[in-house]
Amino acid sequence: MVACSKSCIWELGGDNMTKKRLKIVGEVLRNVLLLIYATFALFPLIWMIIITFKSDAEMYNTLFIFKPTLINYQEVLINSQDYVKAFIDNIIVSGGAVIISVIVGVPAAYALARFNFKGKEDLAFTILSFKFAPEILVILPLFMIYQKLGLYDTYFGLIWVYQLISLPLLIWVLRGYFEDISVEVEQAAQLDGYTWYQVFWKILLPLIKPGLVASGLLAFIFAWNSFTFPLLLSGFNIQTVTVASLRYIASDTVHYGQMAVAATVAALPEVILALLIQKHLVRGLSFGAVKG
Amino acid sequence: MANIKLRNITKTFGKIKALDQVNLEIKDKEFFVLFGPAGAGKTTILKTIAGIEFPDDGHVIFNDDIVNLVEPAKRNVSMVFENYALYPHLNVFDNIASPMRSPLYKKDEEYINKQIVKVTSTMKIDHLLERLPSQLSNGQRQRVALGRSLVRDPNVFLMDEPLAHLDAKLRHHMRTELKAMQTQLDTTTIYVTHDYMEALSLGDRIAIINEGKIEQIGTGDEVYYTPKNLFVAKLVGEPEINTFKGELAEVNQKVKMKVLNQIHLFDLELDVEQELKKHHSQHVIVGIRGLNVSYSFVKKDDTQIEGSVYSFEPIGNKTILIVKIGDELIRTIAPNDLQVDIDQKIFIEFDFKNAMFFDMDTEELLVRHNQEEIIKEVL
Amino acid sequence: MSQLVLQNVFKRYENKKIGRKKIVNDYAVKDLCLHCEEGEFVGILGPSGCGKTTTLRMVAGLEDITQGDIFIGDRKINNLHPKDRNIGLAFEDYALYPPMNVYDNIAFNLRAKNLAEADIKKEVMRIAPLMKVEDLLEHSPAGLSGGQKQRVNIARALVRKPKVLLLDEPLSHLDGKMRQVLRMEIKRLHKEIQCTTIIVTHDQLEAMSLADRIAIMKDGQLQQFGTPLEIYDNPVNEFVASFIGEPPMNITKVKITKTNGHLFFYFPMCDLSIAVPTKYESVLKEGMEVKMGVRPTDLFVVDMTAMGSVTQVGVFENLGDERRISIEVGEDEYLTLITTDERRYKVGEQIKLAVNEEKTHVFDIDTGNRIKPKQ
Repeated sequence: MVACSKSCIWELGGDNMTKKRLKIVGEVLRNVLLLIYATFALFPLIWMIIITFKSDAEMYNTLFIFKPTLINYQEVLINSQDYVKAFIDNIIVSGGAVIISVIVGVPAAYALARFNFKGKEDLAFTILSFKFAPEILVILPLFMIYQKLGLYDTYFGLIWVYQLISLPLLIWVLRGYFEDISVEVEQAAQLDGYTWYQVFWKILLPLIKPGLVASGLLAFIFAWNSFTFPLLLSGFNIQTVTVASLRYIASDTVHYGQMAVAATVAALPEVILALLIQKHLVRGLSFGAVKG
Repeated sequence: MANIKLRNITKTFGKIKALDQVNLEIKDKEFFVLFGPAGAGKTTILKTIAGIEFPDDGHVIFNDDIVNLVEPAKRNVSMVFENYALYPHLNVFDNIASPMRSPLYKKDEEYINKQIVKVTSTMKIDHLLERLPSQLSNGQRQRVALGRSLVRDPNVFLMDEPLAHLDAKLRHHMRTELKAMQTQLDTTTIYVTHDYMEALSLGDRIAIINEGKIEQIGTGDEVYYTPKNLFVAKLVGEPEINTFKGELAEVNQKVKMKVLNQIHLFDLELDVEQELKKHHSQHVIVGIRGLNVSYSFVKKDDTQIEGSVYSFEPIGNKTILIVKIGDELIRTIAPNDLQVDIDQKIFIEFDFKNAMFFDMDTEELLVRHNQEEIIKEVL
Repeated sequence: MSQLVLQNVFKRYENKKIGRKKIVNDYAVKDLCLHCEEGEFVGILGPSGCGKTTTLRMVAGLEDITQGDIFIGDRKINNLHPKDRNIGLAFEDYALYPPMNVYDNIAFNLRAKNLAEADIKKEVMRIAPLMKVEDLLEHSPAGLSGGQKQRVNIARALVRKPKVLLLDEPLSHLDGKMRQVLRMEIKRLHKEIQCTTIIVTHDQLEAMSLADRIAIMKDGQLQQFGTPLEIYDNPVNEFVASFIGEPPMNITKVKITKTNGHLFFYFPMCDLSIAVPTKYESVLKEGMEVKMGVRPTDLFVVDMTAMGSVTQVGVFENLGDERRISIEVGEDEYLTLITTDERRYKVGEQIKLAVNEEKTHVFDIDTGNRIKPKQ
């Protein structure tokens, strides 16, 4: 927008005054477009939060003028125990998956960044390819395997299958971070007298922290939101919030209010986590380590 | 203290042979320079001595002990990396303190403080102690890296191009500083550079490396006055040494030389003549430095060769004149207020007393006039 | 080719607003007046951030001019589109179009003007030998060395027969040998085509060896505009004196003292006195603090019988072609002298120093400007 206005200025051969005016017009236009987009993006979320406070009766009525009620919240959170259990299950499974991914992924990323071995890039690509496959595609064979192995409807089973979601992301992001740290920094630390493990904890980990935090958060969000896997690979003992939200589609009617509560409450952990972690997402820590 | 030996070190990276049967002996407390063009293998040698690269073959010996299997941390070696390798998340103070806080070389905080104050004031970075590496200029980062190395009391200092990324003024200053510090350092030091002035100025002895092989080891004077081959001769000196073919012909029992398609045959010094006769060479490569070439705009006699001014570069305290004679370009030095035009006619005279003669095929030094004396005189 | 004149040119970058407050940037270029003759090779030299690239970009039309005028020949070019200014610009990083071969790269400009293919070929074949790239016309940019790319770059700028040729740090990405070769080529090229050329660089060696006149800039302001020799021998201030010349000029704070009716430069930290050249006797007074500037090649070791006090050799360097002696005159401050004399000195050896009277400068300690001797 601003670029094309600049070339317009050349064509018009305008002086400084015209340039300033055109620039202001450009700015205003840009802000208006942004406003339209923001409204478009945020409205569904605002709508959802509003309907959590609406009773079933008023659901299809006007948009903003209504009598707010907490009955939906009461129903979902207090009256039925299932939702709360699903919430806790989700935390166990998603959190567990991310923790396992971090424990496995960090060394894997380091190995891919630093060492050269036969088939390295093939291996890296294979790991990335896990993310390409749509979940629906692999779910049937997985279902059968899980039944045979007795992993159906277990925490372990879900955490393991969630690695398909969280591990590739962590490895690819962290590999980049490790590659950005010049190997000389590690060598300098070794020469200073630190053992490899001390180098890892004192030097490497602080430097990959932003990457770890960012990809860890993303992995958690993907795992938390996962629908296909928990739907088909668990169902009775373990239910995640995503699957649990389906309950509100009863045979006669859809309890939009309660469903909205389920969704809103389900979204809360992700939002809170993201806000808390912001300050750790400081970039640019490795700038200045090496010349350039 | 440490006497360091490298015996038959060979190292290959994929298809490239980085080091080929390298043999070096560095005496205790010596300031030893590794000099050569980029990619020659100098950094690989340093890293092999430090233990962060492993040779495919050969031994690294510290004071008669083979240390090939000794971990880098335990070799007690202090290294300044070319790209600084500072810890990005620590400030300047903690960076320099790092070696003194490691489990192997731990010192108490009081000692650490004292050392840091001393080193940072010499490096002129004492006002930057709180800053992170990302908040420093290249020159400041380089001095922090040097400081981190100098607070140690190691077996050997390894310095990889420590002055490379400083601007000219700072480089001159730091080179003078380093030389002044040399005596205080009192530790074996191995210094890598591709700048010949640094090599000549700082080194007790210089090893010249090309493509993983050692071409020559000697003092600055030896390398300058009696380079082992053409490669070494071209590496040292600014402007680069002039080289051209010489054809030898025997006239009345005396050997004379024909150069640059000139009719006149040039006389040679007696000792040069004798040596060349011994080698039965018919063709040689003549090497003569710019300061041993004089010029004039008027032809005085037959020993002067006609050419034209190809280009000229006034660089402050002198002008470098580049003269085209046939297909060759000869460089000579002129005063800085010289007025000259491109393609102007000019006459060149060579001082063959100071010329070097190289074998046409092997490019090794055959002889120069006063070869033995010139080194002894100087020492 | 044409004259290039910059008259009172100012450049200030448009600033961003933070909150309600508008930040006022300082001028990147302040009141620059430069008059380059037809066919002259002018170098704009200075440290990074001094405004030289901004100036070049204003001449090229890639930046607007905040205030002032720029003329090429008789035409005021302030508001002309870059393509209408009739200039040739060779960027620092070559910016060759990767998918086209060298011939097409050079011809690009001419094709944009819709010239006939036959004419294009004639022009390209005229320029190619000048930059010695006639053998490379079929190659693609990817396979070329840095030096070759730069030649193609310049050929591309020249093919449209510009009135002014602008070179932006053309040698900065090349290694030592390539730089020397290309320096010679550019110098010969200039003699051949006699096009008004402006080269921007931070390397004083480049500027000195190529330019007819050099404009040194600092913090957006022109410091001095003169021939390389003028700037070398008669710098107007401390900045110019220390920027030009390698190794750099010795500039040290001294006190003026008087002994036996004669004035001396006195270095308090090491008790060293050097005789003041007679031409400054009328402008310097005892007790004054000034900065003495003398190049390493204009400082000598003299006989013990000469005037001045004895000092010690701090550092001795033997560099083959020459020798350098440094004397410590302050905390990490040295006076360095260069000599071709063969004699070797030891650290701590006693020597006496003298300066070349003609080439010694005195700078005001506050302003840095040169204190001129009374004629």
